Amino acid sequence: MARRKKQSEDLEPLRQLVRHHIDSYNYMVDEGLNEMFDRVKPVVVHDSFTNKKLKISVGNPEIFPPQKEHGSKMMHDKLLPFECRQAKISYTGKLMADVEFQYLDANSPVVRERFNFGQFPIMLKSKRCHLQDAGPQKLKSFKEEAAEMGGYFILNGLERVFRSVILPKQNYPMSMVRNSFRDRREGYTDKAVVIRCVRKDQSSVSVKLYYLRNGSARLGFWIQGKEYLLPVGIVLKALVDTNDHEIYENLTSCYGENYVKEKGAVGSQLVCERAKIILDEVRDLSLFTRFQCLQHIGEHFQPIMDGLRKESYHVVAEAVLRDYICVHLDDNYDKFNLLIFMVQKLFSLIDQTSVPDNPDSLQNQEILLTGHLITVYLKEKLEDWLQKAKKLIKDETDKESKNFDFFSLAHIKKVMDKIPSKQIGASVETMLKTGRLVTQTGLDLQQRAGYTVQAERLNYLRFLSFFRAVHRGASFAGLRTTSVRKLLPESWGFLCPVHTPDGEPCGLLNHMTSNCRVTSYYDSQGKIRDFSKIRMSILSVLIGVGMMPSLPKLVKSGPPAVLSVLLDGRVVGAIHSSEVEKAVAHLRRLKVSAASLIPDDLEVGYVPLSMGGTYPGLYLFTSPPRFVRPVKNISLPPEESQNIELIGPFEQVFMEIRCPDGGDGGRNNAFPATHEEIHPTGMLSVVANLTPYSDHNQSPRNMYQCQMAKQTMGFSLQAIRFRADQKLYHLQTPQTPIVRTSTYTKYNIDEYPTGTNAIVAVLAYTGYDMEDAMILNKSSVDRGLCHGQIYQTETIDLSTESNKSDRSQRMFRRNKDDKSVHSLIDSDGLPYVGQTIHPGEPFCSIYDKTENKWRTNRRKGSEPVIIDYVAVDMKNNKNLLQKANIRFRHTRNPIIGDKFSSRHGQKGVCSQLWPDTDMPFSSVTGMRPDLIINPHAFPSRMTIAMLLESIAAKGGSLRGKFMDATPFAKSVKKANGETKSESKSLVDEFGETLKSYGFNYHGVEVLYSGVYGTELTCEIFIGPVYYQRLRHMVSDKFQVRSTGPTDQITRQPIKGRKRGGGIRFGEMERDAMLAHGAAYLLHDRLHTCSDYHIADVCSLCGSILTTSFIQPQRRAVREIGGLPPPRALKKVICHACQSSKGMETVAMPYVFRYLAAELAAMNIKMTLELSNGAAA
Amino acid sequence: MEGMSYQRFPKVKIRELKDDYAKFELRDTDSSVANALRRVMIAEVPTVAIDLVEIEVNSSVLNDEFIAHRLGLIPLTSDNAMSMRFSRDCDACDGDGQCEYCSVEFHLNAKCRTDQTLDVTSKDLISADHRVTPVDFGDPAAYDSGDQQRGIIIVKLRRGQELRLRAIARKGIGKDHAKWSPAATVTFMYEPEIHINEEMMGNLTLEEKKAWVESSPTRVFDIDPNTGQVVVVDREAYTYDDEVLKKAEAMGKPGLVEIYAKEDSFIFTVESTGAIKASQLVLNAIEVLKQKLDAVRLSEDTVEADDQFGELGAHMRGG
Repeated sequence: MARRKKQSEDLEPLRQLVRHHIDSYNYMVDEGLNEMFDRVKPVVVHDSFTNKKLKISVGNPEIFPPQKEHGSKMMHDKLLPFECRQAKISYTGKLMADVEFQYLDANSPVVRERFNFGQFPIMLKSKRCHLQDAGPQKLKSFKEEAAEMGGYFILNGLERVFRSVILPKQNYPMSMVRNSFRDRREGYTDKAVVIRCVRKDQSSVSVKLYYLRNGSARLGFWIQGKEYLLPVGIVLKALVDTNDHEIYENLTSCYGENYVKEKGAVGSQLVCERAKIILDEVRDLSLFTRFQCLQHIGEHFQPIMDGLRKESYHVVAEAVLRDYICVHLDDNYDKFNLLIFMVQKLFSLIDQTSVPDNPDSLQNQEILLTGHLITVYLKEKLEDWLQKAKKLIKDETDKESKNFDFFSLAHIKKVMDKIPSKQIGASVETMLKTGRLVTQTGLDLQQRAGYTVQAERLNYLRFLSFFRAVHRGASFAGLRTTSVRKLLPESWGFLCPVHTPDGEPCGLLNHMTSNCRVTSYYDSQGKIRDFSKIRMSILSVLIGVGMMPSLPKLVKSGPPAVLSVLLDGRVVGAIHSSEVEKAVAHLRRLKVSAASLIPDDLEVGYVPLSMGGTYPGLYLFTSPPRFVRPVKNISLPPEESQNIELIGPFEQVFMEIRCPDGGDGGRNNAFPATHEEIHPTGMLSVVANLTPYSDHNQSPRNMYQCQMAKQTMGFSLQAIRFRADQKLYHLQTPQTPIVRTSTYTKYNIDEYPTGTNAIVAVLAYTGYDMEDAMILNKSSVDRGLCHGQIYQTETIDLSTESNKSDRSQRMFRRNKDDKSVHSLIDSDGLPYVGQTIHPGEPFCSIYDKTENKWRTNRRKGSEPVIIDYVAVDMKNNKNLLQKANIRFRHTRNPIIGDKFSSRHGQKGVCSQLWPDTDMPFSSVTGMRPDLIINPHAFPSRMTIAMLLESIAAKGGSLRGKFMDATPFAKSVKKANGETKSESKSLVDEFGETLKSYGFNYHGVEVLYSGVYGTELTCEIFIGPVYYQRLRHMVSDKFQVRSTGPTDQITRQPIKGRKRGGGIRFGEMERDAMLAHGAAYLLHDRLHTCSDYHIADVCSLCGSILTTSFIQPQRRAVREIGGLPPPRALKKVICHACQSSKGMETVAMPYVFRYLAAELAAMNIKMTLELSNGAAA
Repeated sequence: MEGMSYQRFPKVKIRELKDDYAKFELRDTDSSVANALRRVMIAEVPTVAIDLVEIEVNSSVLNDEFIAHRLGLIPLTSDNAMSMRFSRDCDACDGDGQCEYCSVEFHLNAKCRTDQTLDVTSKDLISADHRVTPVDFGDPAAYDSGDQQRGIIIVKLRRGQELRLRAIARKGIGKDHAKWSPAATVTFMYEPEIHINEEMMGNLTLEEKKAWVESSPTRVFDIDPNTGQVVVVDREAYTYDDEVLKKAEAMGKPGLVEIYAKEDSFIFTVESTGAIKASQLVLNAIEVLKQKLDAVRLSEDTVEADDQFGELGAHMRGG
């Protein structure tokens, strides 16, 4: 029992890896939907006759756990995930919500109606999932993995996971330089300050502040796919009651004459000029008061704003300011202050007193998560639905039909039923199914597709990686520039530098490091955070350490004297630059102490004063979803036990974090380290952490290993019996590696091993190991080395197969009379479990009742399969079996052409299964290697770690111990504070072990030729290396053809492996043949083996199209049974010449005839001039 | 040249003999013969192993092929394998391999009826022929509690799971499939000849001697505690790793010791899987080797081809 408990604890690190998916979904279920429903704009329907108004709004959403739908409503059973996987249905729960109707006249009551908004996808292990709190035992009883961690959806039986996408950091004004800004309109420069404002319900609106060549600035924001640009002066004036002087003072506060050219000064003389220009612009429009500015805005936006067309300009303008400008702030004063700050930052960018922020660096980025996108998407769908409902009701009232009463809710509801509310849940399901957003506005997101991917369970590492993957955005994939793909120092510790694919998505698809987390709405106790409370307490702490609050505006000064303090994009005050560091240290102390209200993941982004660096200030962020990672805070007194601090990428750039090797990393005394990494491996992802001694490898090899680890055939699932995946790979005899990193233990990788410890000899033995080929020992293969299976499931659904027009009734049934299938198919029409089915043999029999016909489904492919499992779905039709899953098992022994790889990016193809007796052997132990690789695999690739692994494993197996191969072990202080003794290298350590067991110090051995029994001239490096079998197998790829199907039109062989086609012999191959002068071969390939054709040509007119056979008259003769028909006398006639005189036969490619026909169709005649070869 | 024969008379001296282990010297012959013997022992001495499995019921977690493969790898006592027929050339059963001359039938019938996991082991395999049974590894001396089941585990069953099958074991050789190989390890080493240059050795200090002795990973040399002389303790522990030679070179004393491999003297180590006794394995291997040589032996009427084969012809005719 104690062991069991320990196991469940061990799963915690694993859970941590997918936490961000589940947390974001949970928040949506708990609170996010409520928040969002409250913010959905109500619609008001106006009945023009009675002049009454009806307000329709939504609220009170609730999501129910998935239930089985039964015909009778008596039973309500849980719908479990494994059932969804097998039945190929979606794991969804009902979404119910109130729709509120209220007639807007005096004291009309609010009528709430419960609406069913359809089936809503439920994330596994979320709060609405049946597996939520299930422990390993319970999960097993639910037919799940014991280590199931959820975080994905099941849609149509497929597991789909949200592909997290990078977004610009919310509520942080970023200065940017982009050429496209210049094209906005005449007079625009390429510089702007951009802020992505996010409301409490996750919906976001970006605002851009452009700089104009004349010194002014324009505020740009998007409404319905169109960008609107407003002079910033008007917006400033419209926001609050103020005067020109105050605005001027505020704008120029960053400029102080005393500070010009000093370190950290951002303002210049020009700021005052520009401030004047901004104010002049407004005055030129003769807008003096706030009211006038509002009127001005309202006038321009009235036609655009939906639902406000009849309102006054004033109201429209208020709405514009509320809905489009700095939407994360509710207060106009805050918006005003933020805009002032943005203008100052923009001016500083122009004056080059600060550098633009890099939008590609992780410093200015955050992550988009499942729950957040669903919330935003659902909001738009709801608003659409309400709008549509409004339009329908409006149409109905305008029609003045008798049977519609505006005051009858029953009638209203009946009209609303025309757009079923159930579609809303379905639309979310479609979104997750396809990963595509169907939206008009674009939701302020960069891409519309690719938000979800199928989580393939090829092996466990691949599956894990789906949850840790972060995509930069699909829009960057097509970009010619490579700057977005660059590995930037800012991503240190958050994104793994090793684990990114090479090739097309390189650098765009990253993976979070094993330590990296994403902040959530839940605190460590699992309670939803109250951000307003948190912000209040942060404010009071700040004021406590000497910050001057922004209201009332007393500070009329800027950097370098004082720094602005922004808390979640709100200018909360200013602080003297001399006191900032103290304040930051204080905040950090409060962060780690459990007692304070300051959250442990608060980001204290202190940008210090610099000579033209990043715009200085103190930026605090509390909001999710930011990346964070733990580091040790060593500036705190060591007696405080809690010194692990969570830091974000924004603050990390300005922090001093040292390596835990005890050194100072070349720091001088001016910048002592305040923080320390917990372990150097924290910068690597889970998969990259699994490479032993990866610090001894050339870095690209580690990248290749990350790729290949995910293509490995391993122990993919423990609950493989209950799965109906399209294709699953399974290694029959997996082992846990002898040489392992600490990550193997931490994440329970041993539950899902991916390879075998093979005895590997490095020598050039037979010549069959050239060019990355490798030789396997046949006896080892006989004994089961790397034996694998492929599980393939075929779902046969008769109800969808039969189209609706013919109402044929089909069922699985065996034909009693056809005895030939009885050995393969049972009486229920389905195959016997355990039966071997060869290609072309039937495996299930279907009977069509109406047509009284039998049909069998036959196996395709080229290898025999074994029926592993047959599952039937009896849910729909009471007695008639309509749906069956049949799982086939392909057994795959290693054969020549299969791909293998060590854990160091050393892949190779099996070139021979060499007999055991011919393998070299050791005279001492009698050992023969399982596998031989060529020594040339090492010099250029420099995978030293593979050699180390071999020696370490050899020593480990002699000692009977697992070897720890965690990389960077030397850079970690020992517990007693001392670093490991440097004098001993790894090789020396292993060498001693080997020697003590009577082996050579360097891991080499004297081997004898298995063929001759003589000593090999060299000592051979031999030892156990963990080898992975990759999923690329020849059996799935080989393509051969001698004869086969041809194309109908050209009569050339068709292409495609599945259809038995050939491999194209293309232009380049043709060129090679020509260059060799291999004319006969060329003729054979391109003509004889392709579309060889003998055509009759009329030499009189030169046509090949006008010739035709004359049917011989003697038909009766042909009918004689048994005898082959006598070869008919060939008589060909040219229709054009009406003679058969000039008939000649010419061999030509059939396409040539086709060309002639095509040309003829275009009224072009092709004539051939025939001549005897000798005469020509 | 006439009458001169290259025929040699190899000698075998047995050093150690256990049921599954043999160590012997083979002298006065070539490496080719030694290696041939090794290769035959590994790949061509016939044994009996399960080759065909008919599964009646299998509700265990392992699939049919997996179990069949595991059954195949179980060593069966094959003392009479030499006298059995290969089923491919068995006259009695038309090659379908189900007669008493070429096959042995096994039955396995196991069902778990308790909550405890049931280990199905090779002991559960019931043979139709008492001469062919799964190899018993149980060492009664080592395991005092007699009821402990000590077979090779085939599969573990949970409550309600069942395994019922019929298996047919056939004769085969390791060349076809490793399961028929009776040898776990067969290896030979060349007997080394070690000459210590006593004069040079005498000039070394004790420290140097110690360092030199310790440079060998195996204990070949030692220092006599009484005389302080370096002596060869275990000649055969030498693995031809040249470490001592390299060490001598590094010490600036090349030629301190000279080591040769005797070209005609081999020390064999044979470990059997238990299918046949190690001693029998060697004898069978020689028998097989003889048969193979018989197959290549030329018949008497090839004398006229002697100009082609020369002396070899006479040799192969049995000279």
